[in-house]
This record gives sequence, structure tokens and C-alpha cells, in this order.
Amino acid sequence: MNFVTGYCRLNEDFCAVNGEVISRRHIDSEDSWFKQIYKEQEFVYPKFYKMDLLSQAGFLGAELIKRGNLRVASSYPDDEIAMIFANGSSSTDTDIRFLRSYEGNSSPSPSLFVYTLPNIVLGEIAILNKWYGENMFAILPNFEPGFFINYLNITKAGGSKAALCGWLEILEGKVDVFLFFVEENEETGTPLNAENLTSLFNQKPSIN
Amino acid sequence: MSYIGAEVIISPLGDTAEENWNALAQNRSGISFVEGAGYAGEGMYLAKMLALNTTRRFENLLVQALTKVSALIDSQIITSTRTIVIISSTKGALDTNIKDQFAGPAAALTQRFKLANQPITVSNACISGVLAINTAGKLVEAGIYEHAIVIGCDVISDFVVNGFQSLFAVSDKPCAPFDNARNGITLGEGCGAVVLSTSKDVFKEAPFQLLAGASANDANHISGPSRTGEGLFRSVNKTLISNKIDTAEIDFICAHGTATIYNDEMESIAFDRLSMSDIPLSSLKGYFGHTLGAAGLIETATSIQMMRNSELVKSLGYSEKGTSKPLNVITVNEKRRLSAVLKTASGFGGGNASLVIRSI
Repeated sequence: MNFVTGYCRLNEDFCAVNGEVISRRHIDSEDSWFKQIYKEQEFVYPKFYKMDLLSQAGFLGAELIKRGNLRVASSYPDDEIAMIFANGSSSTDTDIRFLRSYEGNSSPSPSLFVYTLPNIVLGEIAILNKWYGENMFAILPNFEPGFFINYLNITKAGGSKAALCGWLEILEGKVDVFLFFVEENEETGTPLNAENLTSLFNQKPSIN
Repeated sequence: MSYIGAEVIISPLGDTAEENWNALAQNRSGISFVEGAGYAGEGMYLAKMLALNTTRRFENLLVQALTKVSALIDSQIITSTRTIVIISSTKGALDTNIKDQFAGPAAALTQRFKLANQPITVSNACISGVLAINTAGKLVEAGIYEHAIVIGCDVISDFVVNGFQSLFAVSDKPCAPFDNARNGITLGEGCGAVVLSTSKDVFKEAPFQLLAGASANDANHISGPSRTGEGLFRSVNKTLISNKIDTAEIDFICAHGTATIYNDEMESIAFDRLSMSDIPLSSLKGYFGHTLGAAGLIETATSIQMMRNSELVKSLGYSEKGTSKPLNVITVNEKRRLSAVLKTASGFGGGNASLVIRSI
């Protein structure tokens, strides 16, 4: 049986880990919202500054889940954690930025172009963690627990023992991100089913 | 067990798998010089569907593909609640509406064909197609659905052309996979489809068996291949082991072979590590160009055509060894019965995926 053993929720206003707010957006900050979190949480990974917003969100969610669940980084061989991500608008936010880079007479930006694929965030998390496991990025109209549950089943049958799952919807200022880690037989977690996933997705976090 | 068949190919070489096969058997390429294409309007080689001069090209190709699929199977499964449609694409309808690349076309397909389940879109760069077929096969094998229709499609846009040009990744000649003089990709467009089913009887023409495989990330670089071929090595290794297949059973490798210096070199290293260097291998990019999210579908469908016709077609554009590790690149068409074929793909984001098609 599968259990959710860590999760991170990130929207335009707050970032919460396992149901507790760890950061709130300061509207008057000079830094972008994701950079505020990065600095507040004292992450040190300079590549973060080169990433697009989708990859930054994936980085923050994955790293914050790891801090709250030490098994993520230590209990699995390098190819047994699958990554199953989805969203509604693919890499459109960065696509628009790349399109703007060559409007007029300017040259298309190669550093933006490489982020015009939604699965790049999977590559970034894989590189950081040296994870050689299975990857999937799907485009769905809405957050759909059934997709994750079905895909987890077929991935487990293929030998993956755990999975980092994510819904990462980022478009023109809108932020709706939910990452969760799934393990077998870790009964301290929340049993993985559609009802529980929906309620974790919709959960109002408490302020610590 | 999952059966695979009802393959459809829509490309510059033709609108059906048979038309495409006939062109391939004559070693005809879909690549041509397109005047005015490119960021500076300098003209460039593309595998472009010149006759597809419509708006909503992505959606139109999806509709064409599903229409053709329905003629090759028991058409009742299209609307069945036990059927899932999986779309594979990198940029979808970006050229029509950058803010609605996938949802609109998927909804149009659902409405037009009265699909019972909402389609899933797989968007994992250049491994999308192989990953989508593997997903379909596993969903069917697990009994989550009985049938899955997989459609891969990408169309050429200024966006994609400008992007690959900005990376200096585009060849100034028709692409030459694995050749010593290769210098980049030729972009292509098109659509491919296959059907996966637990039932042999839904196919009008005899199907094959899909041995669904694993994906693996290189964990190395977001836009460059691994120097050691680690992800491709792991993907193929897992695919063979999980399906209890020995490398000696593989008659042909339909490789990814984009014709960039580093990708093809990486593949040669991975196949060397897998002790698969002697197996006849080709890249179909010399015929279709690089069709991105459609590539896995078009190339798997072509591999099935090779199996049906018991013929290997030469790897177009190849003449001289161009990788540090040897490969058995096919240089002349050859009649040969094919029992098992390996299809691989590698792409941006460090993804690698593989599958095996076997004769029944």
C-alpha cells in the first residue's frame, strides 16, 4: 500500500510544507517570490538563479520535502525514485518569454529556449539529486488524483519503490504548485487515494 | 500482454503507413530545402508537409490520425469507456494559440470522436512518443484500460526553428545521423499513431506484441546528452531485463540518431556498453527529419512496417563511421525476417526511453 509521506504546497501567497506555512510572500520585496523562499530557507544552489519558474518551483518543492523526510535522500538507490509531474499549461509561461526574446529585431535567446519544455524541471531535480529513475510529465486540464494513482501503479510494477509527484501550474503570475512524495508501507503517512490527495491539494495550511 | 498495431504515419512522404513505407523502401526522403524558412529568412532544410496549408494544423493532424486509426480497428473501441487516448507532443498547437497548446485540441478530439475518457497528453521532449507508447502498454496490461490509442504529433513553427537555430543545432544539409560529417538536426513535422489492446481481435491486420520498457534520466545536463550514455544504457538494460529478453534476440535497433555530434556519439557509447554494437541499427531522421513529440510514434510505426514487410531500410544520410564506438549502421536495404525490434529515444531534460516490439 502507498502513503504520502511529505508534501509541499506553493501558491502566489504562501509556501507550506506538510500542512504548515513556512514562508509568506512580501509584496514589497525586491526579490521574486521564489527567490524570497530560496533565501529565507538558506538554500545554496547557484543554478537556481538560471532556472525558469517551473524549474524553480520544482526545486523548492523537492528540497523542502527532502528536509521534512530524510528517507527521500537516504533510503533509495539512485534509480528507484520515479518522478511523475503534470500541469495544465505546459511551459507556456516560459514559451511566452522566449517568443518575446525574438520579437522585433532581437535574437532568440538559447538560455530561454532550453526551458521551453515542461519536463526540464524533471531534469533539474534529477541532476541535483543524481536520480536516474523513471520520468513522466503529462498535460491535464486540472489536478487529477486518478492520473497520479494510475501512473504510480504502473511505475511501481516497473520497479520504482517511491515517487516524487507534482502538479506545477505556473502561468503569468499564477502559481498553483503541489508536490508530494509517495512511499510503500510507511504507515505514518497519509494513505494514497483520490479523496486524500484532493483534500491535501485543497488543504488550508496552519500558521506555525 | 498488450498487442500493438493499427499503425498510422502522416508525413511529407505520405498520408498512410503504406505510402510512407513505399517511399522508405525506395530510400526517398521527406526533407527538402524550404525557401524563406529560418530566423533570417535564409532558407533551410526541413521535412515539412508543404500540402498541409491550413490553420490549426496540429488539431487537423490529430483528427486525421484518429480517423485513419478507426478504419484499422473495430471502430467501436474509439468511444468505449475502456479506451484511453494518449497524445504525445512537445509544442502542440503553439503556432495557433501559445496559451492553449494542448487543452483545446484534446477537447476538440473528445467532442468530435465522442471519446468517453479525457485524453492524456505526454510532453517529455523527444522521448514523449516512446514514453507515451510505454504508458499505454502498461495501462492496458495493468487492466486500468482495455485499449489505448496513442497519437504523436508536432508541427514546424518559427518558435521551434528559431530555438534550435539559437542553439546552433540545425544542419546546413539534410541531416546525416551517425555519419562522420553530421552537423546537426533537420526539423520535421508529422503525425504517427498506434493502438494498444489486450485483445488481438480488435485489429483488422495482425498486430504485434509490445514489450513496454523503462525510462531513465541521465541526471547530467538539461540540454546536452550524457558523455557516458548512462540514461540510455540504464533504460535499455531495464527494458531488456524486465521483459526477460536477451540482446541476441534483438534483430534491429531503431535508434534515436538526431545527427547532432554529441547525441549520436552518446548513443554509440551506450550501445557499446550494452554489447549491442553489432546489431543492425538505423536512424529514420534522414527520412522524416526530427519530428520531436511525433518521432517515437512515427519511428515505432515504421519499425512495425519493417517487420510486416520483412525488410530493413538503410539509414539515410550515413556513409562513413562518425562515432568513437562502432555501430552496425544499415547502409543498404535488406530483406530479413524480424522477430524483435528495439526502439530508443533520448531528449532534452536528460530523458531516455526504450521499448521492444516482438512478432507473435
